[in-house]
Amino acid sequence: MFDVIVKDGLVVDGSGAPGFRGDVAIKDGRIAAVGKVDGEARTVVDAAGRVVAPGFIDPHTHFDVQLLWDGAAKPALEHGITCVVPGNCSLSLAPLKASDRRAVVGMFQQIEEMPPEAFTTAFEWTWEDFAGYRAAIEKNLSINVAPLVGHSVIRLWVMGPASQERAATPEEIAAMQDLLRQCLDAGAVGLSTSFVDLDEHGRPVPSRFAQFEELDALAAVLGEYGRMLQVVPEFYATDITIARIDQLAELSLKHNIPTTFSPLFDTLAVPDNAERAIARVEEQFARGARVWPQMQTRPIDISFSLLRPSLFFARLPRWVRILRQPLEQRLAALRDPETVEKMIADCGPDGGEAMMGRLVARGGDACPADLAGKTLSEIAKARGQVPARALIDLSLENGLDVAFLSASQGHQSTDRIGPMLANPLVHIGASDGGAHLASFSTYGDTGYLFSEFVRKAGAMSLEKAVAKITGETADIWGLKDRGRLRPGLAADVVVFDADTIDRCEEEPAFDMPGDGMRYVRAARGIDTVLVNGEVAYRSGAYTDSRSGVVCV
Amino acid sequence: MDEAVIVGADIVAGHDGSAELVVRLLHPDGSEHPVLLDEDTGLKLMEACGASSLEDLYGQSWRLIMPQG
Amino acid sequence: MTLSRQRRFVTPGPDETVEQLAARALPDEPLESAVDRIKSWNLHVFAMRRPPGLMLGSDVIFVEPPIGHG
Repeated sequence: MFDVIVKDGLVVDGSGAPGFRGDVAIKDGRIAAVGKVDGEARTVVDAAGRVVAPGFIDPHTHFDVQLLWDGAAKPALEHGITCVVPGNCSLSLAPLKASDRRAVVGMFQQIEEMPPEAFTTAFEWTWEDFAGYRAAIEKNLSINVAPLVGHSVIRLWVMGPASQERAATPEEIAAMQDLLRQCLDAGAVGLSTSFVDLDEHGRPVPSRFAQFEELDALAAVLGEYGRMLQVVPEFYATDITIARIDQLAELSLKHNIPTTFSPLFDTLAVPDNAERAIARVEEQFARGARVWPQMQTRPIDISFSLLRPSLFFARLPRWVRILRQPLEQRLAALRDPETVEKMIADCGPDGGEAMMGRLVARGGDACPADLAGKTLSEIAKARGQVPARALIDLSLENGLDVAFLSASQGHQSTDRIGPMLANPLVHIGASDGGAHLASFSTYGDTGYLFSEFVRKAGAMSLEKAVAKITGETADIWGLKDRGRLRPGLAADVVVFDADTIDRCEEEPAFDMPGDGMRYVRAARGIDTVLVNGEVAYRSGAYTDSRSGVVCV
Repeated sequence: MDEAVIVGADIVAGHDGSAELVVRLLHPDGSEHPVLLDEDTGLKLMEACGASSLEDLYGQSWRLIMPQG
Repeated sequence: MTLSRQRRFVTPGPDETVEQLAARALPDEPLESAVDRIKSWNLHVFAMRRPPGLMLGSDVIFVEPPIGHG
């Protein structure tokens, strides 16, 4: 008797091999058989007409805090993700002394944009070391977690405030090495560092004060365990990205470790950026180094409000001048009919229809609920105004706190990005799940991979896309128990409709502690998600299953 | 030309949803490279140049990108 | 496998100033001009860093102008 049989689906096993019609049987949390399975099971999942694949793995997230009260990392799990990697960009919640919590909370808030209540009311700080943090999240997991430990918190633990002031001494570096060993022994899957992040005061995070010798010493410890080094490099700066690739390659070769940098973006403003970086990666792989660029699937949007100046208006100098003024003068200018006439005239004879008509009013802030999600063109027509005037009036009516979104302003060219995502050396990831909560949704990138790059663009086959975010990801990260539908491996399984799997529209949700707002996207086309053999999500609803583990 | 000047400027989407400025610098030896400026630095550059459009940045010295004052 | 040539860079030493780094990287040039060149090649550090002029041990500092590609 099996525990579960997922029956009669198109089995796409995560290896990249062609799918085949068959069953997946599960026993004691592990895959027991794949193919034509005879026998009975306590639970049968009918997968006819559906794809049965390994659960997706998201290798770049910031769910460190959310996992303390939400063991499903919602909505990640409903998108078919069964394993998340938190602790990226040099920041994790352990090891962390009680006296340093405030400093790290500030850094997390800068990246995650979480409300303060998330850190004061949503959970109890019961740990300082990595094993303690692991124990704190393990109680309630319905998704698997492969956590990184952050270089910044390791540095902070050893050096205190000096971690944001100076280079480390040899003794301090040795202490960091010992601490990293403890974290790896306690279940960390690697170390993350950052070359770009700032704390809430605009100061570089501690990892940025490290000399290369310090990173080298920590990479030596990773080499003892064969574990991953993740870095976040400078954006859109190709020469710097290549310098970072070369640094990572040196560490990879010297210590025999995998490394990854994320994100790598494509942009029409620097058209050879991603292409040159990938070419360098190919050269370094040919030498035997492992330097995996992580590329996200979704385009980047720009959002802004009139509360502060934005370069969105860079082609409208009068707007920039006015929005740069202190709030009172800004409001006075926006209320002055003569000034507003000139601003509208600046937008062209169509009153800004071409320039601004496609902007979308965003819910979640002071935007009237009935307007959220509508284009400025639609709003303007309903008001009997031109778009530029509608933008100004709507903002004035709501204390300027109405955000507008200009969709797909970066990393947006499917024709260019599709072949890059299909490159065997490009690692699909960099979702940033759990970060930038109040700015945009970081969920649904896997659905978008299938809808945009498999179905619409044909940039890769279904099997290749599945392998990219399952088997290949598990291989890159050394997650030996995950990523494939193969007897003996952990039974992380997603059942989905290949014709409809997608991400839904972005919408605000008020489900953060303290009624904090975040932008989310629901999933489309996902039928069932099993984590370690238990049904964690089915037919649009989460179950009570708590079968997630910290996995290595 | 005896110092680097701006020969191109474009708005790009920052990874955090902000609008950022990429300028292309031409160096005296004829080489070029892009520099990404965050929103604040980009707006200050436009102000320092008295720029009324991105094109007005063309030909301006790299020194105007540096913190002023 | 030979790597293609890319732009040369260094990382700042502990507490190294831009003047010291410029003298190290461009020893044959007058200091003022060397500092100027280092700054113009590394606006990612010198344009936006707060406080201005702060260099970090993890910074990539290019010691030559961009090289041609393609």
